[in-house]
Amino acid sequence: MSKIIEIKDYSWKYINTRNPAIHDINLEIEEGSFIGVIGPNGAGKTTLAYSINGLIPGQYNGVKKGTVNVFGKEVEAYDTGSLQKLVGVVFSDPEAQFTAMTVEDELVFGLENIGLNLAEIQKRLDWVVELTELEPLLEKPPYEISGGQKQRVALAAVLAMMPKILILDEPTSMLDPVSRSRIFKVLARLKEEQNNTVIVIEHSLENLVPLADRMVLISEGTVALDDNTRDFFQKGDLLLDAGIYPPGVIRFFHELHRKGEYSGDYPLTVKGGAKQLRVMKGVRDKDQ
Amino acid sequence: MAENELYIEVRDVDFVYPDGTQALTEINLEIRKGEMIALIGQNGSGKTTLSKNLNGLYKPTRGEIIVDGLNSKKGSITQMVRRVGYVFQNPDHQLFNNNCWDEIAYGPRNIQLPEEEVKERVEEAIRVVGLPDSYRQEHPFFLSKGLRQRVAIASILALRPQVIIVDEPTTGQDARQSLEIMDFLKRLNEELDHTVIIITHDMPIVGQYARRVIAMGQGRVMADGPTAEVFTQADVLEQTFLKPPQITQLAQAAGDVGFKAGILTVEEMVQAYENLN
Repeated sequence: MSKIIEIKDYSWKYINTRNPAIHDINLEIEEGSFIGVIGPNGAGKTTLAYSINGLIPGQYNGVKKGTVNVFGKEVEAYDTGSLQKLVGVVFSDPEAQFTAMTVEDELVFGLENIGLNLAEIQKRLDWVVELTELEPLLEKPPYEISGGQKQRVALAAVLAMMPKILILDEPTSMLDPVSRSRIFKVLARLKEEQNNTVIVIEHSLENLVPLADRMVLISEGTVALDDNTRDFFQKGDLLLDAGIYPPGVIRFFHELHRKGEYSGDYPLTVKGGAKQLRVMKGVRDKDQ
Repeated sequence: MAENELYIEVRDVDFVYPDGTQALTEINLEIRKGEMIALIGQNGSGKTTLSKNLNGLYKPTRGEIIVDGLNSKKGSITQMVRRVGYVFQNPDHQLFNNNCWDEIAYGPRNIQLPEEEVKERVEEAIRVVGLPDSYRQEHPFFLSKGLRQRVAIASILALRPQVIIVDEPTTGQDARQSLEIMDFLKRLNEELDHTVIIITHDMPIVGQYARRVIAMGQGRVMADGPTAEVFTQADVLEQTFLKPPQITQLAQAAGDVGFKAGILTVEEMVQAYENLN
């Protein structure tokens, strides 16, 4: 697989702050991978996202060191707007991006704006509406629907543009558990059916862990840990020190490991954990 | 800690909004001094409407709420806010003064306490929430969300209500910030004997901190009992679209290995594992 994003010795300092928001970042992301980015609030996760879609340095004043290449080209080298077609971003507060009077118009607006023909617009609309289950809401004004529905509209509007890279910045932090799992259901299908590169910044790890191929921990402005998801969570102490609390199953096996009662990989899901416990206690698996 | 004296009685309460939306139906609850309760349920299930009825901001359409012997329909706002304080989900909806000190003093001044006592209460509230001295004269909007939330809680504490309801204290917070806020609320409960009610979607937090869970769905109380008990009622959880904490799910999925279904924290699970040996 080819490297779709290459970040090298990269630092960014906003003009009005003393210390860089992020520094000495080295990160390579392969096409088609699903990456989870985690870290405490204020660690620099959003700044990193802005650096990949060109909002930084485009829309902010500051000092840059190092390089951020997307598709082999440095972000500054793209014409205004052309990088945004390749990199779509969904934020935790979707209202900021709504402009239209109905959900359908909201989804179509961006497509008309890039001059697609009607047939192509219809094709993409049908695809995202089905994927995000928005059919019943198409005629509604975006400001009259619930927070979880708004977030699905925001995600659909970005997906309709078919960006090669999709970045979601805490897409579910303001949502209740049902709305949250619906967003992750869309992401799971996207991973299954498309070849987008997806980067999800999240605090809620329970939904993210089963989907992510790889996890990156950002702490105090730099990459503190970067590994495939299974190996990433083997570093339990490092994560806890950085203020990251892995989901219950991982924390349980990590505790057993610390007490010398378990060696081996930590299971990542409830099902995997229960299976492992049966093996350890010699109970025959009811699923077999 | 005393978890005995009845403090709030909710009797057959319905609440209908002026537009005709029925938000609460036949609510019956008893809340005692010193309890630590999680109020859970999907958005729109009636959690916030119930909370605003408990502190007298809304009055029941039918039925009654008796708080420390006072019927909420008869109590003045001044009487009610001294009994039950409600901290908004978004502290920005509550904070409006130009500096933190005045923000916290607003409530006590509003119920016309003498300035001497206002000062005493504000200082106490600042100490309890651990607001650094340098922030006293700062504008609340220049604080982090975690600190703004503390100011919001302090402004309620200064009214010295027995019951403190905190709406989604951990939303948008990272793991460490969430535990800090919850440890703080636990201290209010255990050391200062406040009844604390948290409204939350964060089930691991519920498992770790709440001793009692009230689960709501479609404006009704669907389950009410000790946390471990509510998290083992599969039918209620399904009806309310709630899931127990992941560690509880693990214990339940590995029931055939010998774990009991009501395990709530990683520590309990480790303990249970060791007891199997």
